[in-house]
Amino acid sequence: MTRYSLAIDIGGTFTDAVLLADDGRSFVDKTLTTHNNLLEGFFRGVELVTGHAGIAPTDVDDVVVHATTVVTNALIERKGPPVGLILTEGFRDILYIREEHRYDMYDPQIEFAEPLIPAERTFTLKERTFADGTVGTPVDRDEVLKVIADCRAKGIVSVAVCLLNAYRNGKNEEEVRRIFAEEAPDIYVSISSVIAPQMREYLRASTTAINAYTVPITRPYLTALIAELKDRGFKQQPLIMLSNGGVIGAERASTMPVRMIESGPAAGALVACYFSRIFGIPDLISFDMGGTTAKACMVQNHEPLVTGTFEVDRRYRFKPGSGMPITVPSIDMIEIGAGGGSIAWVNDLGLLKIGPESAGSMPGPVCYGRGGEDPCVTDADLVLGILNADRFLGGDMQLNLSGAEAAYDRLGETLGLSREKAAWGVFEVVCEQMAAATRTHATERGIDYRGQPLLAFGGAGPVHACMVAELTESLKVIYPPLASVLSAFGTLVTPAQIDLVRSHVATLDTIDWCGVDRVLDSMILEGSTALAEAGIREEEFTFTFAAEMRYLGQQSEVRIDLPADPRQMRDAQAIKDIFEEEYDKQYGLKLDGMEIEIVNWLVTASGRQPKRDPGQAGLDGDRGEETRPVHIKGEAQEVPVWQRRAISETDRIAGPVIIEERETTIFVLGGWVVTRHESGSLVAEKTGEAA
Amino acid sequence: MSMDGVELQILWSNLIGIVSEQARALQRIAFSPIVREAGDLANGLFDEQARMVAQAVTGTPGHINSLAAAARNLLENCDRDSLKPGDVLITNDPWMSAGHFFDITVLSPIFRGERIIGYAGSTIHHADIGGYGIGSGARDIHEEGLWIPTMRLYEAGKPNETLFQIIRRNVRTPDALMGDLGAQVSSGIIASDRLNALCDRYGLDDIAELSEEIIDRSEKATRDAIRKLPGGTYHGASTFDVPGGQTITLKTAVTVDAEAGEIVVDFDGSSPPSSMGINVVPAYTHAYATFAVRSSLNPDLPNNAGSLAPIRLKLPEECVVNAKYPSPVNARHVVGMYVPFPILKALAQVIPDSVVAEGSGAVWTVQIQGKDKEGRPFTSSMFNYSGGMGARASKPGISAVCYPTGVSAVPVEVLEATYPIAFTCKELEHGSGGAGRQPGGDGQRIGYRMRTGRSWLLNTIPSRLKSGPEGLLGGCDGKPGVFQINGESVEDTRKREMQPDDEVFMITPGGGGYGPA
Repeated sequence: MTRYSLAIDIGGTFTDAVLLADDGRSFVDKTLTTHNNLLEGFFRGVELVTGHAGIAPTDVDDVVVHATTVVTNALIERKGPPVGLILTEGFRDILYIREEHRYDMYDPQIEFAEPLIPAERTFTLKERTFADGTVGTPVDRDEVLKVIADCRAKGIVSVAVCLLNAYRNGKNEEEVRRIFAEEAPDIYVSISSVIAPQMREYLRASTTAINAYTVPITRPYLTALIAELKDRGFKQQPLIMLSNGGVIGAERASTMPVRMIESGPAAGALVACYFSRIFGIPDLISFDMGGTTAKACMVQNHEPLVTGTFEVDRRYRFKPGSGMPITVPSIDMIEIGAGGGSIAWVNDLGLLKIGPESAGSMPGPVCYGRGGEDPCVTDADLVLGILNADRFLGGDMQLNLSGAEAAYDRLGETLGLSREKAAWGVFEVVCEQMAAATRTHATERGIDYRGQPLLAFGGAGPVHACMVAELTESLKVIYPPLASVLSAFGTLVTPAQIDLVRSHVATLDTIDWCGVDRVLDSMILEGSTALAEAGIREEEFTFTFAAEMRYLGQQSEVRIDLPADPRQMRDAQAIKDIFEEEYDKQYGLKLDGMEIEIVNWLVTASGRQPKRDPGQAGLDGDRGEETRPVHIKGEAQEVPVWQRRAISETDRIAGPVIIEERETTIFVLGGWVVTRHESGSLVAEKTGEAA
Repeated sequence: MSMDGVELQILWSNLIGIVSEQARALQRIAFSPIVREAGDLANGLFDEQARMVAQAVTGTPGHINSLAAAARNLLENCDRDSLKPGDVLITNDPWMSAGHFFDITVLSPIFRGERIIGYAGSTIHHADIGGYGIGSGARDIHEEGLWIPTMRLYEAGKPNETLFQIIRRNVRTPDALMGDLGAQVSSGIIASDRLNALCDRYGLDDIAELSEEIIDRSEKATRDAIRKLPGGTYHGASTFDVPGGQTITLKTAVTVDAEAGEIVVDFDGSSPPSSMGINVVPAYTHAYATFAVRSSLNPDLPNNAGSLAPIRLKLPEECVVNAKYPSPVNARHVVGMYVPFPILKALAQVIPDSVVAEGSGAVWTVQIQGKDKEGRPFTSSMFNYSGGMGARASKPGISAVCYPTGVSAVPVEVLEATYPIAFTCKELEHGSGGAGRQPGGDGQRIGYRMRTGRSWLLNTIPSRLKSGPEGLLGGCDGKPGVFQINGESVEDTRKREMQPDDEVFMITPGGGGYGPA
């Protein structure tokens, strides 16, 4: 009996659907995202792929996994119902004061986004917990009752509670939640000691506010999804992709929407991990370039890097710092404003710049013929001959070559370069921007990026990846199959996983192991419950442990992965050794004789890695008989053109070469050789061989 | 010009990437809360002639632009030809770097083979430097702490043990200082590796040509921007009170030479030197003066020797912004952070849409010292709070944000976890920003006390307690600040002995409004 699993990834433009059968067949489709009612597009996608496979929804007996931008959209659109914020008396403006920092030192015109929860819906309580965890002033029930009455009067449906020092002791917050549960069970309460139990009041309040703000949107959405899937005869509760790269039951996810923000991109990073295992390559860099942005993620030892803080909804010129910070575990990604639709321009100094302005999909690049006039990255690819005007999207969309050429004539004139040299400049600069971002990102994390293979996907990724690889000194680029729906596929190769963080500060010399046991026991209990809800059997539970540590007196921590359960290890010296080694690796520094402190314990609870392979298609199409001129470094070269599906495992194709498939084009430079891997991926390797 | 716009763009962004990466790493691993939480640091990359080619896009104008001069000064004070790989230079001389002893500058030559192709430098505000501590109360510079002249901290990779021992014994928080100094040194080593890797990648023997291009183009762009302004001399003045009640006036005559594309800022008529530690060394005055011009003129152009060159200063001999030995300079930021305002007022007559109305100016700094409940001594690093920023032509001033400095505030929870302090409030002071077509940003109200049951020492530097920041072009003034101990206003905030239960309460000033309301 064939088993089927299904993935739906709702993105900003498209909703992708992937259906995998355990006999190796795969079915994919794309449909436009229906922003007014996302579930409409969801089920259209379901019908399309199940239709291709000729099965009924009830035949989908394995997992249904869902990645969605619903949370991010809610934050950007800000059309949610009224939400309240409860803070400690004397500290009511935490969301307005932020960190008192201007994110751009020189630009006097910077702006910040309005706080998600405004002053008129912010309440304070006379209560106090101190930094050592002692409660100086307990919560006064009557005062909470007054807040509840105010909330009712203001039509508030959800509240965030972030009390001072609650990361150390959440007792007062729990008391507030308890009183709400008794008196106003219909108002949903998010408390900071559960949502983001970490030091720094602004980060924690921002994260908790985002959660409270999105609960009233995601809960009905996910509840409706669960109900409709059940109605249609699906057997399993859907799983939701989280920002940390794990999946979790939809019901649990609906209470922690702040963890779903990077749902789609996280799935993309997960695919990279999947292929890193297939290829037996522990470290690689995923490179996903689309219409407006490019994203990269470092995979280390088959796992994606995870970060503790990131930002959403950057308001002012896409600048870091202009958005809202979130401190929950998330796949650590670089995102830069450089995609196919990014606009090339020349600044006051005569330098060629690309982005962050983007022509988007409307009007889009000049070659789309929809009224765009500014030269874009995709126009450069077309002018250079890398793209074929007649074969874009399998020929479904005719590109306007002469328009693109005229745009590059104008840009070339400004730069004092020929049309083709200007286009090559754009190609080079956009690749360098990505490479530079990757270098900075990697070195900040103590990773030597040189020589690490790239995994290229997204509409524009395969066009530019080989050049990016040259610039990051990579020797290998992998082009996986299903590139256009790869993120959706990623959700299906993702284990159920939840990352838990708990502050429990102690120096290594004075560590109280019984206290550590209590903290870890409660984290493991929480993780087990979440896994069970996701339908994982107990014998498949895996727990891994890590600690965030620093020298006493520092405030930024280094994450240390522990080789075993610390409750069994109970070995401060071993933990110290690992910390010092990691610190030296990241910062080239060893500080002898300084006390070392553990700040946070981290537990990752996960189920087993599912094994699901994408299908493979038959062989046919052009095999390089035709060539077309490509302007490389300003010189025209005749470059052979292949169809991707024509390449067999015995072929060995020397670059420069163009390989076309329906949704994208692979461009491989001279000195590289392309082969096909048994997984269906194409692999370009640098050999230095001439064409 | 031999490099085209594509090649130069790629190499330039690489240089900025190298220093930014170093600055972020430094900030992450720093012990001094003012570095790690507030971002009080600077990283720069210099060419072989010690000209700043790239600076990190973090930190503060005071540090960054002072660092530009520090590299030159350090190299003038040592025999450049004798520098070997593994050498690291150090100084905290106020006149050579950022204007007070707390800021230690470290500079490492970058070798490519046998040859020096550039220098990597960093300045950070250390937690303590002995002496008076942060504050304006010292009577001459020698009371302010340890003075490190230009020396080699490392010689051919080997630490200068004598110097290390002297430093360790002369500061209150030796472990933190050593940790941060180590981080500065390692940041120089990494910058050197990265620059060499860049040269390898692009087949460069050195960065001389690249640096020339960057500096030339930046200078030309700045001059072109100035040439678009109407020539003439424009005047602006800013008056404010500092701890102890003294009133300081900064006067500037800003001359726009539209032909040469130059701006000269003359401080003639400004207040004379002060007996308090608020005197500003020329490099720091220069740092904030160039900040005011550059941020109004062309803020997108990266800062380097070229973009700074067309802006020149004239300082009177006897002047609070031209500190001379042995004047105390410890709290130089109190005056230094007001330097931009008279210049902005002058520029308001030329480019009214680009300037910012007068804001709260210097951030208010606090340092606490004492013994905790168990009797262990502690000395806090300096921490700071902002008031309201002045309004812009088409936007209100931002409330409670550091301006003109680029630092952040240390979170309440971090301070409470680090020192035995408990805050009673930290909220906006609504209505403290001046009204106007665009209102100024609001200041904030902050209260705190100790949880030690012992007496303690308080060292604070408020300013603008008498008069608030002036509104611009018809906008109303912001409200002045308030500084109280146990509910009573206090004027003299020099290092004070405090009783166990004393409570401090302060309201930082609001920003000035822009245009008539």
